[in-house]
Amino acid sequence: MEESDSEKTTEKENLGPRMDPPLGEPEGSLGWVLPNTAMKKKVRRVRYVKTMKVKVLLMGKSGSGKTSMRSIIFANYIARDTRRLGATIDVEHSHVRFLGNLVLNLWDCGGQDTFMENYFTSQRDNIFRNVEVLIYVFDVESRELEKDMHYYQSCLEAILQNSPDAKIFCLVHKMDLVQEDQRDLIFKEREEDLRRLSRPLECSCFRTSIWDETLYKAWSSIVYQLIPNVQQLEMNLRNFAEIIEADEVLLFERATFLVISHYQCKEQRDAHRFEKISNIIKQFKLSCSKLAASFQSMEVRNSNFAAFIDIFTSNTYVMVVMSDPSIPSAATLINIRNARKHFEKLERVDGPKQCLLMR
Amino acid sequence: MANMNSDSRHLGTSEVDHERDPGPMNIQFEPSDLRSKRPFCIEPTNIVNVNHVIQRVSDHASAMNKRIHYYSRLTTPADKALIAPDHVVPAPEECYVYSPLGSAYKLQSYTEGYGKNTSLVTIFMIWNTMMGTSILSIPWGIKQAGFTTGMCVIILMGLLTLYCCYRVVKSRTMMFSLDTTSWEYPDVCRHYFGSFGQWSSLLFSLVSLIGAMIVYWVLMSNFLFNTGKFIFNFIHHINDTDTILSTNNSNPVICPSAGSGGHPDNSSMIFYANDTGAQQFEKWWDKSRTVPFYLVGLLLPLLNFKSPSFFSKFNILGTVSVLYLIFLVTFKAVRLGFHLEFHWFIPTEFFVPEIRFQFPQLTGVLTLAFFIHNCIITLLKNNKKQENNVRDLCIAYMLVTLTYLYIGVLVFASFPSPPLSKDCIEQMMTVYPLLGYLARVQLLGHIFGDIYPSIFHVLILNLIIVGAGVIMACFYPNIGGIIRYSGAACGLAFVFIYPSLIYIISLHQEERLTWPKLIFHVFIIILGVANLIVQFFM
Repeated sequence: MEESDSEKTTEKENLGPRMDPPLGEPEGSLGWVLPNTAMKKKVRRVRYVKTMKVKVLLMGKSGSGKTSMRSIIFANYIARDTRRLGATIDVEHSHVRFLGNLVLNLWDCGGQDTFMENYFTSQRDNIFRNVEVLIYVFDVESRELEKDMHYYQSCLEAILQNSPDAKIFCLVHKMDLVQEDQRDLIFKEREEDLRRLSRPLECSCFRTSIWDETLYKAWSSIVYQLIPNVQQLEMNLRNFAEIIEADEVLLFERATFLVISHYQCKEQRDAHRFEKISNIIKQFKLSCSKLAASFQSMEVRNSNFAAFIDIFTSNTYVMVVMSDPSIPSAATLINIRNARKHFEKLERVDGPKQCLLMR
Repeated sequence: MANMNSDSRHLGTSEVDHERDPGPMNIQFEPSDLRSKRPFCIEPTNIVNVNHVIQRVSDHASAMNKRIHYYSRLTTPADKALIAPDHVVPAPEECYVYSPLGSAYKLQSYTEGYGKNTSLVTIFMIWNTMMGTSILSIPWGIKQAGFTTGMCVIILMGLLTLYCCYRVVKSRTMMFSLDTTSWEYPDVCRHYFGSFGQWSSLLFSLVSLIGAMIVYWVLMSNFLFNTGKFIFNFIHHINDTDTILSTNNSNPVICPSAGSGGHPDNSSMIFYANDTGAQQFEKWWDKSRTVPFYLVGLLLPLLNFKSPSFFSKFNILGTVSVLYLIFLVTFKAVRLGFHLEFHWFIPTEFFVPEIRFQFPQLTGVLTLAFFIHNCIITLLKNNKKQENNVRDLCIAYMLVTLTYLYIGVLVFASFPSPPLSKDCIEQMMTVYPLLGYLARVQLLGHIFGDIYPSIFHVLILNLIIVGAGVIMACFYPNIGGIIRYSGAACGLAFVFIYPSLIYIISLHQEERLTWPKLIFHVFIIILGVANLIVQFFM
């Protein structure tokens, strides 16, 4: 997503050899240090220069559903038939940026090819450095549980060596192929196994399927955990919603339209609305891209409600739902524009720790 | 985030609020298109709201809808990667058609069901289809054959045709390499005999249908004639002693098959020769000259209907009339008592011997009476439990045989000529359009590959059939004869020759042909040919 910050004046500062914005403590094995004093005096707005990409690794056995998952979440066309028997030969550098500066890398883990295995072992350090997030996909129908666990463990070892602060998420995928009444049981089993195997690292497990809402929810949870100041964000969102008398306000991540946070002032009937909105807008974006146009904003209005979807901060979209149709659009749009400034300031006020939402 | 709770509702029949039940919807939606267009693809203009009750789609279902739409945008049409698998999309009978406006309607499956009939319904349908005009010719046929012979012949023919029907049903399953689920019997014949087989089987089945229709036409003309006459007499207070319900008339005017099978009474009644008004009426209301044409006006529009469900509802009336016929026969038999005397070989003045050499006439009639071979596959296809097909077929045949025996025995035993009057006619009226539809489906389906190609084609076909009926009604209203000839002719192909021949050929292809089987089936074929030939000599 291109940024529309032409009005911002940016000053580039070279702040050190490695520009990997960490999640938790700025100090740590990654050795990123920012002298606070220099920051406060000199810089009005900070823009970090990236020398290395920060990665989200999407790994799993070939055929476990990673490519489908990626194309569904990121609204990319699937370039090739994902039901082939063969493995993804190349590493997929999808260069999809989300949450500001994260780039998604897709890897097939445990291919049958010895070539694949050699490549994997020789490139290991390269692959596992600068990893922010590791998402490992398990096929619930896989017959080779031992092997899957073995590959998972070797990935974890590599992570421990190269990016020990990475967050680990395990997705037990294709749950729609399991019978309804057995799903909870099977998932619990897997979760325990994975937790056990992952020690000393912590991993969060989700069960997913592309044919229900679980995939969207899992990825939303992942994104939610990647945002450090999410509680504060929600509080500000609530204030915003109350001030403008909105029924519901949603904050979407820009690339994937995953809901980062939301506030609703009364119970909504449809629990699936987030995924539906996300799918609708992604579909619309695909249509726009065919015309070489890019989606910016949308207003939907009828006698019952008015909804506004607009760019918010550099990494987010906002959706505001007003159930009072007498309030003119212009008023809400002005409110959104003013809120935008506030939220951007909010991102920066929290300082360097919140660099995830900054560019 | 915390408010996103998981929704575990199924994408099934719980989709809509249970309080509301949609009435019949007029959606022209082919469920066979479901796979290619799934899951919920219909033009909003085709949705007709009959009840002013709008069904809402559940959130779960509409989320699934959006999901599938979105996924389909991510791949090329040729790519199967993100096509919804069967277990996430509801089965066709649970599918709701979903309008983007949020309302949903349940699909209405047609009466040519999708394998949803219980055994009982299937048996009933087979029985109903086989009960035709033949039921009226059975007593006459028994008279032709003699009482004892008649009984034996009925039972034997029943068994023989049942076996051949069983062969027809099984013929489709003998081919393992091909997908035969949508095949009808002409398709099977085509597979074995080439296009000759297909066309000849089509021709023969049409012969039977047209023969039946001609019979119906004659009967209906008679009925219309007599109704008109009855009304006329009633209005003009003419005492017509020779009316419908006479018991001693050896030439019954309505259903001549119960009598001598001879020509129905074309001559005018004598008692109103002095009335000019009556003569006028006579001129315009003649049984063989004018009434058949009036019938054209009545029935031709009906025949051009497109939808079969209209006729299957009509068909219920036919069943009712058959039952009424049975009841009436029983009633009359009780009233008239049995008039049976057993003379074995010598005809007396009022009774016929037990064994006569004209029994082939009965076999000719019975070939048509037990004829269902051209549509048995279709009827059994809709059976819910396919493994019960053979059993259901046997039960249906047994029921039919019993019905025929019952009617035949009772009518014959309470001879002379019980009044089989209006009841049989009502039956005709309802079955006629259905037969017309069947004929149209068969013929047009094969010629044009489309059941209702255009009003033009349908009209032509109906005109031909009706024309044949009218001609027969005018010149040769001998119902027994018509039934005999058409029955034997088409029975030859469908009942005797084709099933046996196909069985022999398929066994030969599989190297399982044994001498006993070969001899037995060749014997059947010879019987069929003999049946036809002998009709012309009787």
